[in-house]
Amino acid sequence: MRLRGLLWLNTIFSGLPVALLASTAVEGRVELPKSHSAPVQAKRYEIVTHAGVLSTQPPLAVVYLDGSFPKPTSLPTKEVAQKDLTFIPALLPIQMGTKVEFPNLDDTYHNIFSYSPAKRFDLGRYRPDERPIPTEVFDKAGLVTLRCDIHEHMRGLILVLNTPYFVMTDENGRFRLDGLPAGHYTLKAWIDSRTTREKPVQLKSGQTLHVDFP
Amino acid sequence: MKLRALSLCVFACTACAFDVDDFLDRLDSALTLSAFQDNLRARLSGTLDLEFYHFEQPAPGLINSNIDTLFNPRLTLFLDTQIGSQIYFFAQSRLDRGFDPSDHGAQVRLDEYALRVTPWDDGRLTVQIGKFATVVGNWVPRHLSWENPFINAPLIYENVTPIQDKSAPVSPLNFIYGPYYYEKYAFNPVIWGPSYASGISVSGRLGRFDYAVEMKNASLSSRPESWNITENGFEDPTFSARAGFRPNEAWNFGLSASEGSYFRREAEPTLPPGRDIDDYREFVLGQDASFAWRHLQVWAEFYEARFQVPQVGNADTFAYYVEAKYKFTPQVFGALRWNQQLFGTISDGYGHNVRWSQDLGRIDIAAAYRFTSRMQLKLQYGFQHETTGSGDDNHLLAAQFTVRF
Repeated sequence: MRLRGLLWLNTIFSGLPVALLASTAVEGRVELPKSHSAPVQAKRYEIVTHAGVLSTQPPLAVVYLDGSFPKPTSLPTKEVAQKDLTFIPALLPIQMGTKVEFPNLDDTYHNIFSYSPAKRFDLGRYRPDERPIPTEVFDKAGLVTLRCDIHEHMRGLILVLNTPYFVMTDENGRFRLDGLPAGHYTLKAWIDSRTTREKPVQLKSGQTLHVDFP
Repeated sequence: MKLRALSLCVFACTACAFDVDDFLDRLDSALTLSAFQDNLRARLSGTLDLEFYHFEQPAPGLINSNIDTLFNPRLTLFLDTQIGSQIYFFAQSRLDRGFDPSDHGAQVRLDEYALRVTPWDDGRLTVQIGKFATVVGNWVPRHLSWENPFINAPLIYENVTPIQDKSAPVSPLNFIYGPYYYEKYAFNPVIWGPSYASGISVSGRLGRFDYAVEMKNASLSSRPESWNITENGFEDPTFSARAGFRPNEAWNFGLSASEGSYFRREAEPTLPPGRDIDDYREFVLGQDASFAWRHLQVWAEFYEARFQVPQVGNADTFAYYVEAKYKFTPQVFGALRWNQQLFGTISDGYGHNVRWSQDLGRIDIAAAYRFTSRMQLKLQYGFQHETTGSGDDNHLLAAQFTVRF
């Protein structure tokens, strides 16, 4: 009878952190850098050119909780498309081990590659209708710069993180990171390839902490 | 030991290259400007090329050097400007030792400038005016150092023939043997490099077909000095065109044609009495094909050319090349090119038909390593063999280090 009581208590306490996780959060604002100048496409040797201009991607930041977390058993597949001669999204944060698809949604060839130490690959030239869609698994943490060997102006970023807790800011730099575990961690804000700000945080179950990165 | 030292050197280059790459990305952002709510955008970019050549005399192709080992640095600056969605302007300026590799002193040139208007979004019509590369063939889009799998151009774009644009030959034998007595720079290839002549072009796409027509101030064989509008007007224009068919993204086929007078004004006193430079023309017919899929790219061009030569008649030649590039790893690619040029016969004036130049073949092999997305090292070996006549050979070794910013 005593043993049965202990088992009940164990069940209740083991289920409790899961319930509390959902309500622990960090929110705040990251001071974003100034917008980049609008990109220019080099069309010097194209016999056929289309009118139109390239879209401008606003700068965004990625906020993530740094720490030691258990590895997930499976991760959802993410996507970086090539559309209108730009990467969509221009910045993608993913957890280490994530598979990313690179669909070509333009009516021309692309040749996506990266020479970043975190991931070196070259997908070669592939048509929009080709299946399977070329994919890569990103199994090393770090910043991966995506480029196109045909369209020099194209540049995209994949930030490979060793944490499941991350979020992108909106265009005003605001963020909210939900479902966090309680404990002492470092909260980091990745702003660009040379700028990552960090702050130690003490997360308590059921609380929402406000952190700004000025 | 040497191999280990080389490996260490490559490793060191690669290690610091990523910092350089990041710096160059930032420089690129700093050199890109926009104003008027992004309706005016401008980007300054460029390449720095350091080239080394080792060859036998006479120097092959359009290399103009009396020394066998040549260092040829080149700084190229590009300006790309987009005004609204329909107007585009570009310019290319170079600081180097000559348009083609040479042992001369430094010079600065404005090689290209053009204004392009594309009225419709679908690209059915584009009008361009200025000084820009020819629409003929399929080599132009990859003629710059970063895009070219090789260091030099295919044979048809650089093999100097007995054709002269500054003076007319006085006899068939003078025409045939001229290259043995005069400086090489007096003579012309069938197509001189990308042919940045001045003029106007109209191009566009209609479904799977594309077209381009241009009127330029100089023929395809004309030397770089003739491309400038200040040097050469439109009294004797050259008309060129290309029609392309692209069944899908992998394949591209094209038919080109060009026709125009190739003599410079200074040749007029040497022409037969009563004749004008407009009476002597260069005709070129070209066929091109290309294929690309994943890590393989293949290009081929075939050209039939005819020059109307004073005192000689028609001088015909046929040239072609097949070129392939394959990326073995993300940073290493290799390329192979087979070139051949065959010459027709002319009457030597003594009742014999003789070739007006020696047939020749050339094989080019290149390998490249990209340290980063902005730094590249290319090595090339070329072997040229005359298949007729004395059968002279020439070996070319070349290296090219390029930084793109």
